[in-house]
Parts: sequence; C-alpha cells; structure tokens
Amino acid sequence: MSSLRNCVPRPAHKERSQPQARKKFGLREKHKDYVIRAKAYHKKQDTLKILRQKAAFKNPDEFNFKMINSKTERGNHRPKDEVNKYSAEELMIMKTQDIGYVFQKWQSEKNKIDKLTSSLQCTEGQSSRRHVYYAEDREEARELESESRSRSDISARGIPRDIKKKMDRSYRDLEARRSRANNLEKLYADMSMQKELQKKGRKRKLREDEILNPNGKPVYKWRADRKR
Amino acid sequence: MTHPQRRRGGGGRGRGLATGGGGSAVRGRGSESGGGIKGGGKVLVAPHRHAGVFIAKSKGDALVTKNLVPGEIIYDEKRIFVQNEDRSTVEYRVWNPHRSKLAAAINIGVDNIWIKPGLKVLYLGASSGYSVSHVSDIVGHEGCVYAVEHSHICGSDLVNMTEKRTNVIPIIEDARHPAKYRMLVGMVDIILCDINQPDQATIIATNASYFLKPGGHFMITISANSIDSKLSAETVYQKEVEKLQMEELKPTEILPLDNCEGDHACVFGGYRLPRKQNS
Repeated sequence: MSSLRNCVPRPAHKERSQPQARKKFGLREKHKDYVIRAKAYHKKQDTLKILRQKAAFKNPDEFNFKMINSKTERGNHRPKDEVNKYSAEELMIMKTQDIGYVFQKWQSEKNKIDKLTSSLQCTEGQSSRRHVYYAEDREEARELESESRSRSDISARGIPRDIKKKMDRSYRDLEARRSRANNLEKLYADMSMQKELQKKGRKRKLREDEILNPNGKPVYKWRADRKR
Repeated sequence: MTHPQRRRGGGGRGRGLATGGGGSAVRGRGSESGGGIKGGGKVLVAPHRHAGVFIAKSKGDALVTKNLVPGEIIYDEKRIFVQNEDRSTVEYRVWNPHRSKLAAAINIGVDNIWIKPGLKVLYLGASSGYSVSHVSDIVGHEGCVYAVEHSHICGSDLVNMTEKRTNVIPIIEDARHPAKYRMLVGMVDIILCDINQPDQATIIATNASYFLKPGGHFMITISANSIDSKLSAETVYQKEVEKLQMEELKPTEILPLDNCEGDHACVFGGYRLPRKQNS
C-alpha cells in the first residue's frame, strides 16, 4: 500500500549560497568540501610526522656505497660532480642556443619599442630645445626673442586624470622595455665574446694603454688570418 | 549604456600665441585601433598650435592628423576614433616622427610650419608617400599636394596612395628638371623638400623660380652626411643656408632634429618676402 505522501510534491532542499558581500571568496564551503580539505591536510601532516620520526631515529652508522663520492650540504644530498657530462661540441651547441634565445628576445624587445615609440612621442616638454632663428635686423631679433619666451602648446594641466595615468603607465612601460633591451644587448655581447674566445684563432689581450675607450671590460685583438 | 560626452572648453592653452580659433579639446569616447585598446578607451584629442594638426592623449601620446579618407591607412599606422555628440566618428591617423621629418620638427616645437588647410603644396622627394599623406590630411580637400618622386618603386606606392586621395597629384620625375612637369603644377604656396642630394639648394631654387609664389614659404631637410661627410654638421648647415640665401630663399628658422639617426636639420623660411616698411 503506497502512502499519500507519494502524491505530495516534495521540493528539493537547496543549499545556501555565498552572500553577496563575500562573493569574492568563491563558492560557499559545505561540510563535504571541508572534509576534502581536512583529509588532504591531515594526509600531508601524517607524512611529515613519519619523516620527522625517521630523522630523529636515524642510525648514525648507516652506510651506502654511493656515500663515498657524494656529500650532504645543509641537509641536501649532492651527487658526485659530473665534470665531463657534455662534450665540447655539445657545450658549443648549447651555448649557441642560449645566444640565439637572448638575441631573439632582444630583437623582439627592440621591435616592441619601435611600435611603442610610434605612438608615444613626448609631445610636451620639447620647446626648450635650441632653435636658430634668422632675423633681418635688430628690431626683428628683439621681436623674436620676446615672442619665443611666451609660447606654449597644449598644456599639461588640461588633461583629465585617468588619461594622464594611462599615459604615464605607457611611458613607464616604454622605459622598462628600453632598459631591458639594453641589458639584453650587453648580455648578448658578452656571450658572443666568450664564444669567440673559445674558438680557434690566435688572439691577444690588449693592455690598458692600448684600449681606446676603456670601460672595464677586456678587449681582444685577433691576428689577421685569411679564411677559406 | 552611454557615457556622457563632455567637451573640454578652453583646453588650458595658457599664455602665448594661440594661432587659430577654438581652443576646445574634444574628449570623446574614443578608441585606438591597430592592436590598441579595443573600444571603450578614452582619448583626448586637442588641436595643436599649427592648424590641421592635433595631439591625441590616451594610452599613447602622439601627433595625429584628421584622416581625409576614413578607413584607409598607408602602411600600418594606428588610428584613433573619437565619437562626437551626434554619434558620428571622426578618424585620426597617428603621425610618426621617426618616419617623417616634418613630424619630428613639429614635435621639437617649430614656430611655424606654414602649412594650413586650403594651401597648395609642392613636395619634392615624396618617397612612398607617408609624409605626403599627412600633409594632404592637413591641407584638406580645398588644398592640393604635388608629390614629386624620382624612383619607380616608391613611385608605385605613391600612385597607389593617391588613388584614394584626390588632393595628391603624383609626379614620377626627376626634381632637377622642373620644366618636365611644369604642365602639371600650378603656382604653389609652399615647397617641402626632402631629397638628400648634394645639389639640393639648386634643385629647390629652380623649382621655386618655376612654381613658388612670391611671399611663399619652404622647408628643407638637410642631412649633413649626404651633403659633405667630412665637415661637421653645423658647418654643413651653415653652408646650405648661405646657398639658399643667395637664391632669395630666406630662412627664418633652423632646427636640428635630435631624435633622428644621423645629423639632420630642418630649415624653414620664406621666398621673396615683402620688405618691411621702416615706420
């Protein structure tokens, strides 16, 4: 015998959602979500506890054959140094790839700088550069002098704040890109110099007094050899 | 949901010579195209001291001219769209001072470029037509630009550009012989000269004697390396100016262009200006 309760519609009970003021924290955590979080936390804590116990009860006389050449630095195992892991050709190839990557990044920065400077032109603050005016006689010269002092283009005060903020941000971005391109260029020059030094070819290092523009870096001169 | 359109009156011009009327800067609900902000960005476009040139400030800070042919760009410059109160969009094109010496001179702050809407301009050394397009934007439909370019490669780019712009007339000829194109060019108000030849003073002088009206103006860009690479830049500029003065092309202003590579200078001046009466 089925009861009358089967005819009565039983609306599903809905979960309570996150209040509007706390919407930035995401979905509201229910007990089932808490259980998942707690289980993960306790599993990690248990693993750590076991590791701490193992460290506390470590046998000081333990030995393994790989301990002969390796060391422990500040709790980290350092395996034996592989001096000749890569051959000289492989090293050259890897160095070339590094140089290529740095060069590619440098070029992309330069292109971006070109694109940015086409629309960031520092339209203010230029009138102070030197101009040379030509005047017929003294009166015109005096006129020109008095005129040139009172001249201004669109002034900086008339710009609304949000547009000014955007402009400043763009200029700062341009500055950052410029300095980055500079650093990449120096890095590329250093790396390619090192690579050239490792190649065959008779060279010598110039002394201090032979260098024209001393900037702290060593300058090398190669012997003039005819290449094939 | 519409944003309120506000017209900025006055534009904060400050003291000084403000040529041309209307100091209002249009702050529209504008946007930049060509990879810039896609819609919704706010742009402030204000007229420059020179008529026909504007300054646009938003994410970028650039010289712009009003596009004579809306929707067309020459190589791939950015465009700025500003919406007016009556829902029409005005299109401006960015003028790159690294590509165009005239834009570099305006950016540095030249007193007077003498190019105004409605004038006739003769442009020697038009190259692919980048600067020519901006000059044609400034002079508008009433003015006219005669673009002279000798090379055929650049000339074909120039001709493609002028197909859309009706106020530019391309002339693929050597500027040393203005007699060859005298049938195409009338009297002009301004000559702009951007050819880097050692004899450019004579070139502009012959063209001026054919086409430039008395009281007209000129602009020359001098590249010190093209004229004489042994002398210093200042000497080269001085010598060129003397050559011009001998041909009745009186310079009023000379500007070194620092932001271009190499030693370049821009000379602005007048041709057969009327003598001042001694009062």
